[in-house]
Amino acid sequence: MTDFSFLADDSLVDALLMEVAGLLRGLIDRDEGGSIDLRGLPLSPSCIETLDRCLGQGEISVVLDAAGRSEIRETSLPGVWWTKHADGAGRVVALLIEVAVTPGILRADVEDMKRGLDRLPTLVKVAR
Amino acid sequence: MTLLDFARGPGLQGAWLIMVAGTAWRVSGILLLRQRSHLAAPRIGFAGRVRVGLATVFTRFVPRRTFWPRIAVSVGLSSTFHLGLAVIVLGGAPHILLIHQFFWLTWPNLPKGLVAIVSGVTLASMIALLFRRIYHPVLRLLSKADDYLSWLLVFLPVLTGILLSGETIASYSTWLTMHILSVELMMVWLPFGKLLHVKLAFFGRAAMGMNFARKGAAT
Amino acid sequence: MDPTATLGEVLGRRGFGRRSLLKFAIAMTSSLALPPALAPVMAANLAKAKRRSVIWLSFQECTGCLETLLRSSSPSIEALIFDFISLDYQESLMAAAGADAERTLREAVSANKGEYLLAIDGSIPVKDGGVYSMTGGRSNLGMLTEIAADAKAVLAIGTCAAYGGIPKAYPNPTGAAGVEDLISGKPIVNIPGCPPLPEVLSGVLVHFISFGRLPELDELRRPLAYFGTTIHDQCYRRPFYDQGKFAKSFDDDGARQGWCLFELGCKGPVTHNACASLKWNGGTSFPIQSGHGCIGCSEPDFWDAGSFYTSLAGGSSAGWRNTGIALGVGVAGGLAAALSGRRKST
Repeated sequence: MTDFSFLADDSLVDALLMEVAGLLRGLIDRDEGGSIDLRGLPLSPSCIETLDRCLGQGEISVVLDAAGRSEIRETSLPGVWWTKHADGAGRVVALLIEVAVTPGILRADVEDMKRGLDRLPTLVKVAR
Repeated sequence: MTLLDFARGPGLQGAWLIMVAGTAWRVSGILLLRQRSHLAAPRIGFAGRVRVGLATVFTRFVPRRTFWPRIAVSVGLSSTFHLGLAVIVLGGAPHILLIHQFFWLTWPNLPKGLVAIVSGVTLASMIALLFRRIYHPVLRLLSKADDYLSWLLVFLPVLTGILLSGETIASYSTWLTMHILSVELMMVWLPFGKLLHVKLAFFGRAAMGMNFARKGAAT
Repeated sequence: MDPTATLGEVLGRRGFGRRSLLKFAIAMTSSLALPPALAPVMAANLAKAKRRSVIWLSFQECTGCLETLLRSSSPSIEALIFDFISLDYQESLMAAAGADAERTLREAVSANKGEYLLAIDGSIPVKDGGVYSMTGGRSNLGMLTEIAADAKAVLAIGTCAAYGGIPKAYPNPTGAAGVEDLISGKPIVNIPGCPPLPEVLSGVLVHFISFGRLPELDELRRPLAYFGTTIHDQCYRRPFYDQGKFAKSFDDDGARQGWCLFELGCKGPVTHNACASLKWNGGTSFPIQSGHGCIGCSEPDFWDAGSFYTSLAGGSSAGWRNTGIALGVGVAGGLAAALSGRRKST
């Protein structure tokens, strides 16, 4: 495998960290977070690795199993989340840095809750 | 067919054939002209005349010292331009690739950054030469449409080449098409105007050298 | 499937909750180069979306475009969405044939008049009244004109449908043409490629269902999100190009080290597509990564653009024979001029 480490560009990592700082400041002051789509940027694999290492691991790790596996991890910066979505075949379909109190995808949806409520009586029956 | 396909296809073929036919016509026409009869005996033999003639092609690259102060600017600018163009055409990777495709010759290319710097200098020297031609009273008097057209048809390839390698302002496709088309325009014009000095200058120097050698005045 | 059910309801019944849809929307906004903030909006719109009719007509084609789209389905929500907008008519896939198929087509057109999307793959031959490609006794040209008339929009899938493709290559014996040469007054989206990337079709359809309009197109009617940049701009071998490190042959040292393939004929700098970023087979690889230069298959007339192995710095040769003739003609002209000059001076 060819060594692509020469492609790691520290200035790109710095720029992205500055953007994260800006989004975090927005979240704190105005309750306005945001997301950075890492696959939409011309980042080399080693750049992404460096960024991941810089942000580090926080207190929460979530595995989401919905149409494929997703991993949502709070970084060492509270409110900054490293999110990786994969489809049913295990292919990565999105890689994001989300700045939010909680990533939107973790919240339960009203329609889903309604469907769950409808199903509750059947569960009670099965339990008996 | 897109314009780029035309430029890399029929355009290139047509321009090459026109340049070959036109150059052959003019060079052979000049070489086959009646020469004035020489009434005096030659001072050195034919072989000697040929040797001096060929040497003259190279010795004339460096002007005589006496003239340097007067011609410094024009020779300086002109040499910068010609050498720069040689470096670009013979040292730039894509040009070597083109030559390799048609003539099977290849050699190592110069670094892209170096060619870029030389291109900038070449472009600047061309602009300076144009200004000189316009503002120098004698040159202005002597200059005709042929001179300005020949300048333009060399300037455009250098300019579009710089924009192509910088991949800026417009797309790669656009500059590649413009660059190839501008070179083809130059090729089509080359046999018919002042630009033919690229071939004739060498014949001119050699002929002059042979003539002077015949008269015993070789320098 | 209940034709009035929304996509959200259909997915819900199959056990896919809103999180799956949101995840799909996140993936789609990334693929379409839209801001991530639009993902919840897209998910909400998709949940409310009603069934869309798509009629697919295959003309003068090799079936490669259809194959690439079928084989691309991963066991995921994407396959379900395709099911939802499902094809009302597609000859290679549907069970009905002959007169039944004809009836299915007529019913689909009349039931969804003005609302269906018409997808075309393959070029359309026009020479000799279009006899070179016919289905059920009708020419492709006739079918296209008739069915496009009541379509909401036309999607030209693959380079053949978009620009004429292989059948149009010189000398184009059947008079093959692309959809945009034959249809006017309808929104047309070109999704070129030989074959096109499957993600592009899903992206266009999802954009249409979510936002009710087709994505932004470039001057060749291609979705800007996928065709806005060239292969060269996204290629991982670009640093080698910039450093002047080129492979000179397919198995030399440079090739083994993954150097730039410009000298081996790569048309990446003049080809607009997303192969270098999205890649093929779910992000596995693409031609350059496998060691072969881009052949420019998503550009018009790429089959007539000269050899795949002649670099962009090169071109077509006039040939030594023609050069010899030009030389001969030139010398003859020079001789004539010189003789006339000699005659004048005597």
